[in-house]
Order: sequence, then structure tokens, then C-alpha cells
Amino acid sequence: MNQPKEKEHNKRYFEKDQKNTEDSSKGKNEKVQVFNIKITPNLIKANKFKNKDTVNTIRPKRNKKFEGKAPIDPEKLEVHSRGEGVGKGVRHPLHAEKLRKRERKYNYAQEQAARAEILLTEGQGGVEVEEGGKTTAISQKIIAENVDITAASKIFELNLAFGPYQAKYSRNGRHLLLGSKKGHLAAFDWFTKKLHLEINVMESIHDISWLHTETMVAAAQKEWLYMYDNTGTEIHCIKKMDKILRMEFLPYHFLLAAVNEFGFMTWLDISVGEIVGHYNNRLGRTAVMAQNPYNATLCIGNSKGVVSLWSPTVKDPLAKILCHKTPLTALAVDNRGMYMATSGVDRSMKIWDIRHLDGPIQDYRLRSAPVDLEFSQKDMLAVGLNEVVEIYNNCCTKTTEKPYLRHRMAKTINNFKFCPYEDVLGIGTSSGFTSIIVPGSGEPNFDALESNPFQNKKQRKEAEVKALLDKIPAELITLNPLDITEVDVPSMQEQMEAKKKLLYLKPKKMDFTPRHKKKGKTNIARKKIIKEVARKDFIEQTKEAKKLLNLSEEQKAKKPSFGVLDRFVPTVKTKKQ
Amino acid sequence: MEDIEESEYVAADHDLLVSAVSKLDKTQHITEPTRNESTNIGSEFNLLKRTNRLNLNSVAKILGDTAHHVQISKKLKKTQDKSKVLSKPLEKPQAERIKRSTGYEATKKKVGRWDPVVARSRTVDYVSFPLKSASSKLEPTGDFLTKLTLKSDLEKQLDEVDPPPFIEEEVEEEPVFPMTYEEMVEHRKHIAKMRAQQSYKAAKAKRQSKIKSKKYHRVLKKEKLKQQLKEFEELQKTDPEEALKKLESLEKARALERHTLRHKNTGKWAKNKLIRAKYDKEVRQQLAEQLAVSRGLTKKVQDNESSDDEADDGAIPDMTLSQDPMNPWMMQRPDKSNVNTEFDFGYKKFVQNKIGKKDDSDTDSNDENVDDEPSNGISVLKDSINRLTRIDDSSDDTTEAVEQETITVRDSVKPSQSLTSKPQRKTVVTQKSLKRAKSSEGKSKKIKPIATTNWEVVEVEPVKVSTLNVSEDITEVFEKHEDSIAQKVENKLKQIRRNIEMLEKAARSNKRDTKKIEDRKEKSNLEYLELKKKNVKPIIDEELIETSSKTVQDDDKDDQSLSKILNTAQAPSEPSAGSSTSNIDPNRFIQAKPKFLNTALSQGDNQYDQLDDDDEQVVPKVNIEEVFEEDDVVASFRQEKEDEINKDKPEEINLALPGWGSWGGKGIKPQRRKRNRFINKPAPVMPRRDENKGDIIIKEHKNPKLGVHKVKDVPFPFESVKDYEASIRAPLGNTFIPEKAHKKLIRPSVITKAGKIIEPMDEDELLLPKNKRFRNEAIIKLLGQKK
Repeated sequence: MNQPKEKEHNKRYFEKDQKNTEDSSKGKNEKVQVFNIKITPNLIKANKFKNKDTVNTIRPKRNKKFEGKAPIDPEKLEVHSRGEGVGKGVRHPLHAEKLRKRERKYNYAQEQAARAEILLTEGQGGVEVEEGGKTTAISQKIIAENVDITAASKIFELNLAFGPYQAKYSRNGRHLLLGSKKGHLAAFDWFTKKLHLEINVMESIHDISWLHTETMVAAAQKEWLYMYDNTGTEIHCIKKMDKILRMEFLPYHFLLAAVNEFGFMTWLDISVGEIVGHYNNRLGRTAVMAQNPYNATLCIGNSKGVVSLWSPTVKDPLAKILCHKTPLTALAVDNRGMYMATSGVDRSMKIWDIRHLDGPIQDYRLRSAPVDLEFSQKDMLAVGLNEVVEIYNNCCTKTTEKPYLRHRMAKTINNFKFCPYEDVLGIGTSSGFTSIIVPGSGEPNFDALESNPFQNKKQRKEAEVKALLDKIPAELITLNPLDITEVDVPSMQEQMEAKKKLLYLKPKKMDFTPRHKKKGKTNIARKKIIKEVARKDFIEQTKEAKKLLNLSEEQKAKKPSFGVLDRFVPTVKTKKQ
Repeated sequence: MEDIEESEYVAADHDLLVSAVSKLDKTQHITEPTRNESTNIGSEFNLLKRTNRLNLNSVAKILGDTAHHVQISKKLKKTQDKSKVLSKPLEKPQAERIKRSTGYEATKKKVGRWDPVVARSRTVDYVSFPLKSASSKLEPTGDFLTKLTLKSDLEKQLDEVDPPPFIEEEVEEEPVFPMTYEEMVEHRKHIAKMRAQQSYKAAKAKRQSKIKSKKYHRVLKKEKLKQQLKEFEELQKTDPEEALKKLESLEKARALERHTLRHKNTGKWAKNKLIRAKYDKEVRQQLAEQLAVSRGLTKKVQDNESSDDEADDGAIPDMTLSQDPMNPWMMQRPDKSNVNTEFDFGYKKFVQNKIGKKDDSDTDSNDENVDDEPSNGISVLKDSINRLTRIDDSSDDTTEAVEQETITVRDSVKPSQSLTSKPQRKTVVTQKSLKRAKSSEGKSKKIKPIATTNWEVVEVEPVKVSTLNVSEDITEVFEKHEDSIAQKVENKLKQIRRNIEMLEKAARSNKRDTKKIEDRKEKSNLEYLELKKKNVKPIIDEELIETSSKTVQDDDKDDQSLSKILNTAQAPSEPSAGSSTSNIDPNRFIQAKPKFLNTALSQGDNQYDQLDDDDEQVVPKVNIEEVFEEDDVVASFRQEKEDEINKDKPEEINLALPGWGSWGGKGIKPQRRKRNRFINKPAPVMPRRDENKGDIIIKEHKNPKLGVHKVKDVPFPFESVKDYEASIRAPLGNTFIPEKAHKKLIRPSVITKAGKIIEPMDEDELLLPKNKRFRNEAIIKLLGQKK
């Protein structure tokens, strides 16, 4: 008898609760719809978030003073990326771990480089005009009036008597070398106008070049190639290089490349005084030459309108591009080795994608054949037309309409060079040298370890030693400078085949697929272009089709109008395709 | 004498008593023989296994407590104590081997402690020595200052005369503990952890053992089974022989179950069979048979049930007690071998029941129970209904029912003890009650196979043939299923019809004029993705249209496409000196349109200068290119490219010998078969870089001088070219990357401080957290192996 009572007494708390809840739920059941919800961790998370909003909880203030490093823009990070890292291919645990650590360091370097961009404080200059105004209308005089004195002092003119002058700036942009057809050779610091040397070699000078430092210059004279130090003392006469028409100095390889009247090309290693490459290019006499700073190949344009690329170790051209149907007049390659500008006698000027050997990207027709072409560090293109220099801004990626600046002179142009790290264009003319300001042409931020305009003597010596230590062998001059980072797979396969034939030797297993490289965005860009073109075509087609349709529709039916009550007429939605 | 006699007498009595007691022990039944008379012949019955050794203890006892003999007895005892025979020492090499092996183990363990330390120091970026950096604690100011004070000459002299009292610093000798504090803490931590783990495991085991939930166990069992299956499958992959063995063992383990017909495909046996069924056709058949039998059985049961319900209520079969396998009491009886009962269920039992029924109906018709049958029948029916409603508790119910009517026989179950001679009770079970119980059981059995045996019942499917309306349910389900299938089929048919209609419509519309437009559109849609491609390849990839009603238009279309394909296929074979130009579509893309720029003109020809600032394009009347038209630069360049391409192409090698095996000479063509056989076709060449680039020639030759600088072998840890190339992809120089990163990358792996003595590591290194935290087992194992 007692048992049931006891049971009641002993009823556990949850039993009672259950009953209560059941009762309450019964009461609610009539109105409340019950959903069968499976509780998942995600749901709980979501509810947590909701609860936070609803419940008045005072969020603890972040009293962290230092919240860690600032986040980096992923796009900037991507710029400094070195490509895909080592995957999980290495099975040896110790080496795999070491490689992982190394990867981490590479990532750190990348991140650090992205962070260091904050130190590039200088911005690119430019010319701003009122609406409707033209930048070509701004002459050097106006510029000189509007800039500070130091900048204005960069506009100057040297009237020299010894015929058409060649001008070249040193690699850091501080020094200027002038050589005239009539033998006048002069080198000076053009900032301070301090003269280093001034001599007359008493022979015609065809081309001039700075060597690795400003203490040495080379002059291609009537017969031989001569070298002078900064006091004007002749230090070398290289008789192996004769009758030179054009010269280029390849700073990282310490090579002086030259082409002579008979089409012989010579590469002289100035650090050891050896001729690295010497052969005839069989193109005939040509004075159109430029170096590609990206891979140190020489681009030579000939009278048949073909530009060929040369390296010292291969006696055939690495590549040939038929640029014009007429003889070439000038040739220039931009600093990054992306674009090449060529001009022919046919008064046309074309831009090529020299990195991928493709093009032409742009095709311009001018009103006279250019004498010289030159790219600035910021990819401005100077075009010399007899007495006028026109500077085009942004003419490679898209088609320009008109020049950015125009400078007219009273004398014919012989050659011109943009001054590195300065917004200056130096023009060698028939009667001297003219320096003009081209706003935004130069690289505003210089890397002092690379080339320092404000270098002192000690730094120069230090840089010379370092540059010599970092000298790149001439054999590495190829179309793709990153060839060296690749494994020579064919010869490796040969070796492995030979090893396989040996007895008692376990053959190595090897995956020969080379690393997938990022070859720039051009492929993507090309695809984009294709798509864009297709899209435009499609749009045009649709427009045409719509026109047709509209006509028919208009003919077909006009909706009856109800005046103000039109708004209540239901609109029939047409399906979009 | 009397005393002696008495004592003897007493002794005899005592012996008797002792023997009586020893009899209780039962171990030695035969008493030691006593020799009464001296004889030469020893009886064979008197031969006992008895050691001849003299029991020194008894001798010593005899010597007694006399003072004189105490010494001797003690000595005796002592000799006995030490008389343990030492085991023969092991052979020297053997002993040494053992010593070596144990020594090796110990040393291995000892040295093995260093593994993580070594592994860590191998993997870290750099190690700097000395390991223990000098303490950065500063000296107390006073001490530091005393070194700086200068003493005057007078003071020095005074000090010589009267040296200042040398204050001996009491160096408190620290007590030497077997373990350092850190070690001790470590040790304690370790022990605590172990203990915690142990207790945790124990608690877990206890908890798990207490779980009564059937579901839990079922899940557990399923998991186990899955695991087994997985293991088996793995084993099959790795070691098929082993797998076969395991399969056999599995088979053996379930061999007994094989005879039974239990629970369709839910029982263990069936599950084990299922494993085999994947690989064995026979087993599959067996399973199918089993299923068929079970189905048949269930059907029969239903039939029986219905018949029972109708009329056969009264005819409840009787069974003899001994034959009843379902009686739990009988099964629990220890004296009866359970082997038979264990397998008396399922199919076998059903057969037995049937036989029993027949027998009963034959033999027991005259039994007295027959009179009671109607009432019995009703109760049985009730029981069965109850059972149906409470399926799970059915077995319990039956046992309870039996319990109420039977005399408990628990006592008999208890094992009789040897020492306590309790009168054994015999089970008295009334025939009647048992019979009743039996009949009810039998009925219930017929309705549903209930788990009354030791076999585990696994309920997997909710399909239970228990309720009366099961058959109806099944039919319903089948009907539903059929319906759904029919609907699906109909839907599909409809879709197909619709498709056909659509196609027909399209064909009709094609007949009209829209066809051309469509074609054009398609082309434009498809071809815009083409690159400026010169080697046009035939595209034979055509859409497959599955229709029987192929219209004429379609045929036309096909013909067109076919001709197109043919054209493209033929195109490359044609000499393409001039055709290459025609293949280039100038409007494709990127072909830059000439842009006329209003450039400045020199002062001399100033006629256009007024136009200078206009935005219009001034197109000159005379095209200068026309002047140079005569020297065909383009054609010659293309010829050059062609030559270049052909130069690199490997040629076919003809190995055919003219006249070999056939006639040779002028005008005789070699057989086609032979030609094909003897021509070595070169491997297909990689596409050239300049293949689709227009008037650009890229020479594809290997630069042998560059090869000198290239890597020809991939070094050790790398197994793919890709990985190695990735590892050398980034520059390290400070001209390429920031100084900080550069420094980090070129830091030497070992840094030593100049002028410092590098002490070897001591055991404190083992306890450093950085070493303890190192847990890369793979590396530890690798480095440990080398020793």
C-alpha cells in the first residue's frame, strides 16, 4: 500500500518536469506549429550569433594595444610571389620538414617585400591641363615657369660646334656622355655640370657608351674601339673591334656588344678583356640596334624590315620578326622587356610583345618616318621626327590618339635618351645637346643597391665589386632568362637511361614533368580579349536582331491605353534568355 | 612401562584418528605399510612412492630440547636450510648473450631519450653554441663597485700589516638529491598522468560493461562487424592467402549457424555470409535459398494461424517434457547436456515441433488434459495476444506464466557441494502445467520466432510478420511500389515523346527559311573561341541525335558538315605557300588596325601643319608601302619560316631494299604492304613555339653552352623535377629581397660564439620544454633508426 506513495515521493525531478512540459505543450499545441529540427553544430553556431544580438551582453572592449601586423593587400602580395612552392613530393620526413621551413622563409620574404612597398614614397609626376586643354600645348617654357628652380635647371641647351651629337646617360642617370661625329667626346655630371673629360679624338665617333662605372667610357671611332678613363686618358684601343656602328653595354654581364659596318657582331667582356662572341650576322650594314634589358639579347633591325634577336653564344638569330615591309629606321625595347617599338621607312610604327614574341599589339601610321625611338622607365615612348620629339604616354597597352608632349627644335635630331630616375629627356642634335623635362617619365623611386644617383666614391667602389661578383656568364643570354632555373630534362633522362643499364644499381624513380610556370597574364589577357570581342559581336548581333524584332513588333500591336489607369494593367513578364 | 604402553595405546588411537581425518581428504587412500616382521621379500603392494631422504627435521625434533643436543640440532637445521641446490650456471656465451641483450635494451632506452633532442636540433633553422647562454643576471651593485675602488698606497700598506678580516662566505652545501627538482616534477607529472589515464580507462570499461541498452550493443556489434569487414577487405588486398584463411575461420566460427534458418538476412550467420557473397556465387545462392525458405515458413505460419483461429483452437498439441527445447528450465539444467537444445530452434525446431505435434495428436489424445482444453485454449489465445502486443517481453511473460504454475526448481540448479551432504531434491513438475506452458509456447513460436535462445537477435528491418494485418500491409506496399514505377515509366515515355516532337518541329522549321540564320548563329557562337590558327584540323565531333525521323534537311546539313570536315582535312596537304596568307583571318583579333596619328612635321613641308591640333585622322593619299611592293619581303620571309620548320622535321627512314623478295628495277612499284612495313615513321614532333604566331620565326635549338650551367640531376630528397625547380625558384640576394628576409635565409645552420667554451649537452636538455614539445614522430623515428 505504501509503495505508490513512496513512488510519488521519490519521483525524480525530470519526471515531474516532463509532465509539466507535456501539459504546457498540450496547451500550446493548438496554435503553435511544431517543426522537427535536427540540431547540428552549424545551427548552434548560428543561434549563438543570434543570441548575441538579442541578449544585452556588454562586449568586453578590446584592450589590446597592439593588434598584430597590418594585413597585406593580397594583390600586392601576388606581385611579389615567386610562384608555386614545393608540394608534398618529398617523402623523407627530415628533408620535408626542412623544405617546409624554407618555404615559410620564402613566404616571409614575399610578405616583407610587399610590406616594404610602403617605403616607395615618391609618386610619378605628370601634366594636368584644364578640361578641353591639350598637354601638347604645354611647352618647355611653361614647364620651366611652373616647376621649382632645381627642376627648371634641368632644362638646358648646349650649343656645340662639332656636328651631330650622340648622347648617353650613365646607368644611375647622373652622368652624361656626348660624342660627336667630328670627334668631340665629353663626359660630365649633368646635375652639377662638372666636367669629367673633354677631348677631341680627331676621328669620327660613331657611337659612345658608358662602361659599368662613370670612370670609363668607350667610343667607337673611325677604325677601332677606344676606351678612356674619366680624365680622358686612353686606356684601351681594341683593334679586334673595328668600324663599329652601334654599341650597347650589358651591365649585368659586363659585356660591350657592338655591330660593325660589315655585319660582324662582337661581345667583349670588359671585366676580363675577352671577346665572348664574334660572328657575322649576314644582315648587311645596319645601324638599328637595341638591347633587350629583360634577357640581354640584342635586337637588330635590317633593311628588309626584319628584327632579329642575337645572343653571343649562338651564331644564328634566336628569333626573327618581320616587322615592316620596308627598311627599319629605329628600334626600342622597354625597360621590362615587355614591348618593342619599331618604325620603318613606310612611316609606320608598331609595338610588339617582345617577351612572348607576338604582335603587333599596336600599329601606328605617322606622317613622317621616325629617326629614333626610345622608351622611358615608365613606358613613355619618345619618337623623333626630324626636328620634333613627340612623347607618347601609354601607347603600348592601348591605342593612343595623340602625343603626350611635343618639343620642337630648330635643329635636326640625331639621337635621344631618357635619363634614368629623372623626368628628363636628353636629345643629341646636329648642333649640340638639349635637355627637356618630360613629367612622369622617370622612375621616382630608386634602389640604391641597384643604381644610386647619389653614389659617392666609396659606394661606387663597393657597387663595382658587388656587380663583378654577381656577374652573369655570357652563356646565359637566351630568350628566356629563367632557363637557368630549370632542370635540363633531356640530358638528365639520358643519364638515367645510362644508369639503368648498370647492374646492381637501383634505378631512381623520377617524375620528369617540369614545374608549371606562371607565364604572365597575357594568355589570360588574350582569352579576355577573345571573349570581349565575342561579347561585342554578340551584342551587335542582338542589337541588329532587336531592330528587326522591334520593327515587327511595332507593326504588330499597340497597347490600348487607359490613361491614368494604365498602371493597373498587369505587365506580362517576358522570359530572358 | 605402563606409561609407555599407555602412550603407545594413545598413539595408536591417535593414528586412527589421523587416518580417519586424512580419509576425509581423499588424496591418499593407501596408508603407508608398516613392517611387522622382518622379511626378505618386499611385497609389491607395499611399494610406495616415497623418498628415501631422511627428514632432518624429525631427527632434530627427536634430539629434543636437551641442552646438550640443542647445538647439534641447530647445526642440523642450519645445514638443511642451506642445502638448497644451486642451479647450474649457464654456459658462458649464453650468459654473455643475455647480458648483452639486456644491456642493449637498457642502453637503447637510455640513449633513446635523446631522440627528440637530436631530431629537433636537426630540423631547426640554426643551432647556436654554447647551448647554455650565460646568465644575464647582473651583479649586485655593491660587489660591482668594490672592484672599481682604488686603494691608496697607505691603505695597501695598512692592509699588508693588518689584513682585513676575511669574511668567509658560508657556502651552503646543497643536499644532493637523487633527482633534480625539475626531474622530480616531471616524474610526478608523468605518474599522475598515468594514473589518471588508468583510472579513466577503468571507469570507461566499467561504464561500458554496465550498459544494458540493447540498441547500444546492437550498434556496437554492427561497428565491430563493419570493422571486421573492413579489415577483411584490406587483408584481401594485401594478403589474399591470409584473407582466405580468415574467411575459412569465419566460416568455421559460423559453421554451426549455417544449419539454422534464422531471421532472414539479419542474423550473424547471414551477415558473415554476406561478406562471402561478394566473392562467392554459391554463397549468394545459399543466402537466396535461405531467404526463400524463411519466406515460405512465414507464409505457412500465417496459414496455420488463420486455421488455428478458425477451428483448431482446441487441438493443442502436447509434447513430452524431455523433447521440449523451449523450456527455459530444462535448458538451464546443468546435468543435461545443452548441445542439442542450443540448436533446437529456427528451422530445426519448427520441424521438431511439427513432428511433436503429430506425435502428440496421435498419442496424447487420451490424456486427461484433453478435458481441460477449451479453457486452456482460451488462456493460450489470450497469452498469444498479449505476446503480440508486447513482443519484446514475450519470453519473460511465458516464463512468468510457467513460474506461477510450476514448482520452483531453483535448488536443483545449485551445484551440490562435496563436503556438505545435503539431500538432493528432485524436481517435481506437474505434467499438466508444463504441458500447458509448452503448448502456449509452441503457439507463440508459430506466430513469431522469439529470441529465447542464446543467439543474439538483431532487429534490422521494421518488417515484422507479427501482426495479423501484415499480409495486407505487404500487398499495399507492393501496390504502391508498382504504382510509382508505372508512373515513372509513364513520365519517361512522355519526355521521350516530347523530345521527338521537338526534334520534328525543329526539322519543320528548318524546312522554312530560318535554317540559314541559325547556322550562322551557331557558327558565330562556336567559332569566336578559335585562335588565329593556321593548321586547321578537321572536327569530326558531331552531335548525336537519336531520332528515327531523320528529315531530308538534316541529311543536307550532315552533308554540309561532312564536306566541311573533308575540306579541312584536305587543306593542310595542299602546298601552302600562298594559302597560309589566306588562312590568316585579319579580323580574328588583336590584328591591330592601323592608327593614323597626326604627328608633327618638320618645318620644310608645312602643308599639313594647320591640321596639327585637329582630332581627325589624316590618311595620306600615297601609301609608301606601295613603293616597296616590288621586293617581296613577306613572301621570302614566309619561305624562310617554312624552310626552318621543315629543317627541324625528322624525316621518314625507308629501310626497304628494292628487289628483296620481289622484282626490282625501273617501273616496278614496291608492294604497298612492304612500303608501309619498312618505312620508319618518326615520332610526332612537339608543336613549335612560333606555330601560330604569324611572321615570327623562333629558332628551336638547344644551346649547348647553356647546358653546362643547367642542372642535370635532381638531388636526393627530391623525386620530381617540379619539386626541385620549385625549391630553387626564389632568389636569396639582398638586391632581390628585403634585407631582413635575406639575413634570415642566409643564416648559417650552426652559430658559434667566439671565445666561448662549448660544453657538451647535459641531461637538463632533455627537460627543456622546446625539446619536449618536439613531436614529429616521423623524424624521431628516422633518426632513431640510424643508431
